[in-house]
Amino acid sequence: MVGHEMQHGGEEHPPSTIRQYVMTGVILTVITVVELFLSYSSLPHGLMVSLLIGLSAVKFVIVVAIFMHLRFENGLLTRLFMFGLVLAACILLALVSLFWNDGTDAVGGIPAGQEQSAPKH
Amino acid sequence: MAAAHAETQHHTTTGIDNRKLLMWIFLASECLFFGSLISTYLIFRGDSIVGPLPADLLDIPLTSTSTFVLLMSSLTMVLAVFGAQHNRLGLMKGMLLATIVLGLVFLGFQVYEFRHFAHLGLNLGTNQFGASFYLLTGIHGTHVGVGVLYLASLLVASARRNGLGKEAALHVDIAGLYWHFVDIVWIVIFTLIYLIP
Amino acid sequence: MATAVGTVGHTHEESTVWKWLTTVDHKKIGVLYLVTGFAFFLIGGIEAVLIRTQLAVPNGTVLDAGLYNQLFTMHALTMIFLAIMPMGAAFFNYFIPLHIGARDVAFPRLNALSYWVLLSGGLILTSSFLFGEAPDGGWFAYAPLTDETFSPNKGLDFYTVGLVVAGLASLMSSLNFAVTIINMRAPGMTMMRLPVYMWMTFVVAFLLILSLPVITVALLQLYFDRNFGTHFFTPGTGGDPILWQHLFWVFGHPEVYVLILPSMGIVSEVLPVMSRKPLFGYTAIVMAGAAIGVLGFGVWSHHMYTTGLGTVPQYVFSASTMAIGVPTGVKVFNWLGTMYGGNIRMTTATYYSIGFIALFTIGGISGVMHASPPVDGQHQDSYFIVAHIHYVLFGGAIMGIFSGLFYWFPKMTGRLLDETWGKIGFWFLFVGMNLTFFPMHFLGLAGMPRRIYTYDADLGWDTWNFVATIGVYILVVGILLFMLNVFMTLRKPATAGDDPWGGATLEWATSSPPPEHNFDVVPVVRDRDPLWYNRDHNIPMPERPAHLHIHMPPPSYFPLVLGIGILLIGVGALSSLAITALGVVVAYYAVWGWALEPTE
Repeated sequence: MVGHEMQHGGEEHPPSTIRQYVMTGVILTVITVVELFLSYSSLPHGLMVSLLIGLSAVKFVIVVAIFMHLRFENGLLTRLFMFGLVLAACILLALVSLFWNDGTDAVGGIPAGQEQSAPKH
Repeated sequence: MAAAHAETQHHTTTGIDNRKLLMWIFLASECLFFGSLISTYLIFRGDSIVGPLPADLLDIPLTSTSTFVLLMSSLTMVLAVFGAQHNRLGLMKGMLLATIVLGLVFLGFQVYEFRHFAHLGLNLGTNQFGASFYLLTGIHGTHVGVGVLYLASLLVASARRNGLGKEAALHVDIAGLYWHFVDIVWIVIFTLIYLIP
Repeated sequence: MATAVGTVGHTHEESTVWKWLTTVDHKKIGVLYLVTGFAFFLIGGIEAVLIRTQLAVPNGTVLDAGLYNQLFTMHALTMIFLAIMPMGAAFFNYFIPLHIGARDVAFPRLNALSYWVLLSGGLILTSSFLFGEAPDGGWFAYAPLTDETFSPNKGLDFYTVGLVVAGLASLMSSLNFAVTIINMRAPGMTMMRLPVYMWMTFVVAFLLILSLPVITVALLQLYFDRNFGTHFFTPGTGGDPILWQHLFWVFGHPEVYVLILPSMGIVSEVLPVMSRKPLFGYTAIVMAGAAIGVLGFGVWSHHMYTTGLGTVPQYVFSASTMAIGVPTGVKVFNWLGTMYGGNIRMTTATYYSIGFIALFTIGGISGVMHASPPVDGQHQDSYFIVAHIHYVLFGGAIMGIFSGLFYWFPKMTGRLLDETWGKIGFWFLFVGMNLTFFPMHFLGLAGMPRRIYTYDADLGWDTWNFVATIGVYILVVGILLFMLNVFMTLRKPATAGDDPWGGATLEWATSSPPPEHNFDVVPVVRDRDPLWYNRDHNIPMPERPAHLHIHMPPPSYFPLVLGIGILLIGVGALSSLAITALGVVVAYYAVWGWALEPTE
């Protein structure tokens, strides 16, 4: 996303043909199919989760940059939206790690797949 | 110099239309809204004492289909914006209609899914999964419903004598921003809830 | 003849009411906010007086425990959400366009809607008293007190619905203000030439935009817990009361900056003008405000040390909390530096600004003490905390608002408030405030917990409780003197002139009160203190053109209708689905009317 912001400068324009939009839609569909395939594969859990999150981030960026044409807009919009998005991601990560690493959580304990981040104290 | 600048920039300091700026800041706010809901879902992962659990219920092929439907609605939406921007009103109206229909199909899938889960014994109060799943996807569905109403209102308004007026492209564009955002939220939900086992 | 006169008078009055109901003028809306906020300030004050009267002597019998719980809960909710925030929003509304040289905010009708929705939220929340079922779980409503078992009546549903509606209003006005400040500035008004008050407004708008969604989710979850059988915050099926605390404070800590930053902005406007020299360290004070805005999202867990966060989170939140004290301290030095060497005019506004600095510093120091988890553990839920928040909110936020009232009253009405009575009132507020809240430090350290409705005589708490109660009655006198001052001043002719203080910012370049279009000629800004720059460089005020061709948005009743729709949805959430459905229909009708209404 930061890269797109750097590229903003007026020489780039949103797609000018329907075909380009359809191609973008096809790419998104292909990524979704790959994700589906991955979720049924027998890859190691950590790798699979990383790949899935990475691929959905790619989809996210494509939709925001091209369908919502943020890439071709004033950089201010990118900064404003990214501020909310990054803040949301940080708070999500903080909350989830506070709870998943919480040794006092009597009911849930540590969810499956989080064994590697055991309590540090 | 400064006055001329303001004149050519539609009377805004940055040159961005006020309404578009409002929508983008609102979407930043929505990031926190869905962020909190998703956090709740993740925090309660594995905290359900009784079933049914996600593994018993989630039907990935079915939801993949509805995900595909919503993804395609983003494509039709962007084509509606394209039509509005290039003054191809037929394309715009057709694609708005297609987006509305795809949105309704997605909602249909969701209603089916909710009823099916309830039939299998998952209610709001059954366990933590039920509470956080229904709240998150239900609020997302509400957003889709509001989007359908929004687009339908635009479609009806565009059938008037004056259509959507001289700012038609802007109106459709801003509605599109909302619609695409609802779509990207689903991209995240689909990955975090359905795909990651 | 008599009938004819009566009829004319009657229609005239009706049209005045209609004008206020349909206004989209930011100045009128600002006045609505101010009057509403002050009315709720009085309601919250009455609640406070009742609480202090109950606690004046040991084993007080003025209130029973149930009513006491409702009063302290509603006192906090009223003061925070319905008094300080709306009074802050009142000045935002009135002065954003005047400060940045615009004719109105970016979305005038949305602005009107924000007010009507805020009023709806306030009415929903306060009407709970009529049913004898006011919220009673404390303003942060910790689970499991909010569970149906411990709070079986509708009180906490009033809480959830009222706050969601009031939050919606704040979200809409914040979006409006953010867009206005980014996009509606006069030529030459760059971001780094914005008045500090505008910068604080800008930060507050983003704090609200980014924190309100979190509390909305938490309130929805609480509503579901109480009405639809979920267990987000109760252990029934594995819920977690701590989750509520996290979500609440992720919102709640930015919220305290929402309350204090506007007053910091007001003081930053008043002190340079009254010291007749530019603000000391403009860039530092702006950056400090922005830093508070960002860091404010990273300190929420310091409200929760005693929940057992674990060692590492305690380190992290302790460090971030201490860090946020730095930009706050920077500002204090900015204000002192502004006054240092200045030719200070000791007006009532100056008195309140200096009072703000002194009292806010005390509150800030007792606040940063709690950055340390072991200290916090000693003070948690004691009167020490009550003392701290009142030094910050009364000594800080309210003192700043009063400073703004005295400073801007001539601009808003054309009349200067009486200085002598203003200063007498200040001393009553200042003495009363310290007499009420300073003893609470001692009470807290002596072990008195907050939120107890009575206490025994042999605990050593009698003296200071009695002193605190005397203090609150002195405060009441101060508030009454202020109201009398306003009332008497409004009966006098408007003789203040356009610029009674020799101000630096653009609002003093137009008439008092300003015309509906604010400026006959949109000003050109050449400096951070545009009027002083023009004065020092002999740049004359632009000539008033012979013919004004200024188009202002016409009044609209759709914001009011949409507000009623939202009120009905809220009422329906507390009563029956039918009312909610009606509200949705009304709201949808209003949105259509709104969209199709010509504004050109």
